[in-house]
Amino acid sequence: MSCNLLHRQPILRRPDGSGGALPALTLITLFFVVPVVALLLRSVTEPVPGLHNYATLFGDGTYARVFFNTFLVATVVTTVTVIVAFPVAWMLAIMPPALGSIVFGIIILSMWTNLLTRTYAWMVLLQRTGVINRTLMDIGLISQPLPLINNLTGVTIGMVYIMLPFMILPLVGTLRAIDPMTLRAAALCGASPFEAFRRILLPLSLPGIAAGGLMVFVMSLGYFVTPTLLGGTSNMMLAAMIAQMIQSLLNWGLGSAAAFILLVVTMALYALQLRLVGAKRMTGGI
Amino acid sequence: MTEPFLSIRDLRKAFGSFVAVHDVTIDIPRGQFLTFLGPSGSGKSTTLYAIAGFQHPTSGDVLFKGRSLLSVPSHKRNIGMVFQRYTLFQHLTVAENVAFPLRVRRRPDAEVKRKVAEMLSLVRLESFGDRHPGALSGGQQQRVALARALAYDPPILLMDEPLSALDKKLREEIQAEIRRIHRETGVTILYVTHDQDEALHLSDRIALFRDGRIEQIGTGEDLYVRPQSEFVASFIGNSNFLPAEHLETVNGAATIRLADGSVVSGVRHDREFSQGQKTRLMVRPEAFRLRPGPATAGLAVEFVDTAFFGERRRVIARTAAGQEIDVRPTSDMAEAQEGIASSRQQIFFDPAAAFLFPA
Repeated sequence: MSCNLLHRQPILRRPDGSGGALPALTLITLFFVVPVVALLLRSVTEPVPGLHNYATLFGDGTYARVFFNTFLVATVVTTVTVIVAFPVAWMLAIMPPALGSIVFGIIILSMWTNLLTRTYAWMVLLQRTGVINRTLMDIGLISQPLPLINNLTGVTIGMVYIMLPFMILPLVGTLRAIDPMTLRAAALCGASPFEAFRRILLPLSLPGIAAGGLMVFVMSLGYFVTPTLLGGTSNMMLAAMIAQMIQSLLNWGLGSAAAFILLVVTMALYALQLRLVGAKRMTGGI
Repeated sequence: MTEPFLSIRDLRKAFGSFVAVHDVTIDIPRGQFLTFLGPSGSGKSTTLYAIAGFQHPTSGDVLFKGRSLLSVPSHKRNIGMVFQRYTLFQHLTVAENVAFPLRVRRRPDAEVKRKVAEMLSLVRLESFGDRHPGALSGGQQQRVALARALAYDPPILLMDEPLSALDKKLREEIQAEIRRIHRETGVTILYVTHDQDEALHLSDRIALFRDGRIEQIGTGEDLYVRPQSEFVASFIGNSNFLPAEHLETVNGAATIRLADGSVVSGVRHDREFSQGQKTRLMVRPEAFRLRPGPATAGLAVEFVDTAFFGERRRVIARTAAGQEIDVRPTSDMAEAQEGIASSRQQIFFDPAAAFLFPA
């Protein structure tokens, strides 16, 4: 028996898998690391060497507005997503597993449905003569169609809808790890349901909220399809601006600089979160 | 003040067609340590949860000083509770955990600070205030849970198998702490356990649950010495049950005939038995003697095995009818060894320490 164990020990060590990882690592190096470096180089060399592209982006009011808009949309979308996702995640966490997996399946299914299809569907629903406006007018709640599309409202609705699974999934994991008995203990200690939520459940679920929130925020910062289709021209976001710079204006230098700023902001946010929440809790090792 | 302090009236809880608690009625005087003892699924926890407000009874009532608690939500019942699992708030320090019930009651800072210090010293964890629960052992966590449950001076403390996750030595240590804290605070305690030693050690009174009903309620001594049923006799302490035939009862003392034909007089019981009725005679293992005494009855046995238990030696003996019985004589260890050597022996018991039940 002990002899057997000794023989097993080398197998117990995790295989390092360096051979199998090679193709993927090569792909990432060739198609991510190299382009990012090329991007950085273009942003400081085109049309002439120097930091003028960055100076233009930070100095010009129009570009500043796009940056502001991007962060505004990402912040609003993240906040609304957290608020909407929390009750769903809690319900999933305390549901009987059989029923929970059905609801889970529906949420995952929505993630797998084509993004463009879902965004066009929202256009149909939200436009002036769309289903929502017509229904509200028919039942007499409003007399004029509500401006639900080509503005921040439209972008927020469409993006929250798409982001929900990315918030719900990490949150369910965190909430499942909380013993419901803890909340009963809080109740007997005299905490009303609201106090128990504010003082116990919310702080305990913070790692999940942070993990999901970061994911949603970062994805929102660079989102292209939904803001382009549901947002107006007055609140253009960064991704749409980069596309315009490169496709229409053929200004590769300025576009590269904008893309590089987006990348740096994303990395900075990730670093900040690792600091605040702790790398261990982020990766699920609660 | 004829009202009992806490009163459970005809409490019934059904889950569908399964009735977990059948019309349980108990009055608990102020300051009493009452234990709900019973096997798992006997309704003791369900009764406790009804008092805590986690489960709404199907019928019946829970009265505190004459007023019904049923319409009061858990967070307004002002009851303390220690749970089976560790339910400390992991994101708060030990001191913040103990302060929690006071903070939600919006007590002034100075009072919270004083009370937290007082509670931590009550459970002897003064120097642990700044630690997080995760850095504490299971026993320490349950002591913090006890401090948290007592911080707001609740009139009633509920404890739901709080020591079941701890090892034996730690359990005994915390039992002593719980006794001391009960003495010092005078709080009324309702304690749930399936461990009879724990119940006997801690309680003023024990309610023994079986299948959702209270089988017997009384002091530990009542249940041990005067069990009202064979279930009580076998659940509290160890017992041997010898088949016997009832011959007659005069002045409450029965005369019976054992399987080997020997006749024993002076056995107690609290029922009506007819002549020739089949009965079972309960004899505690420690009621057996290896030597005859005044008025003892003898039983021919064969010694099978002996085991050393520290303060006692346990002997397994076999009767002439082939039934194995558990014998724990208080002394005479050397003699027990001799008995094993000679293999055939007589053991003795005082009929007044035995008890007769229907078969």
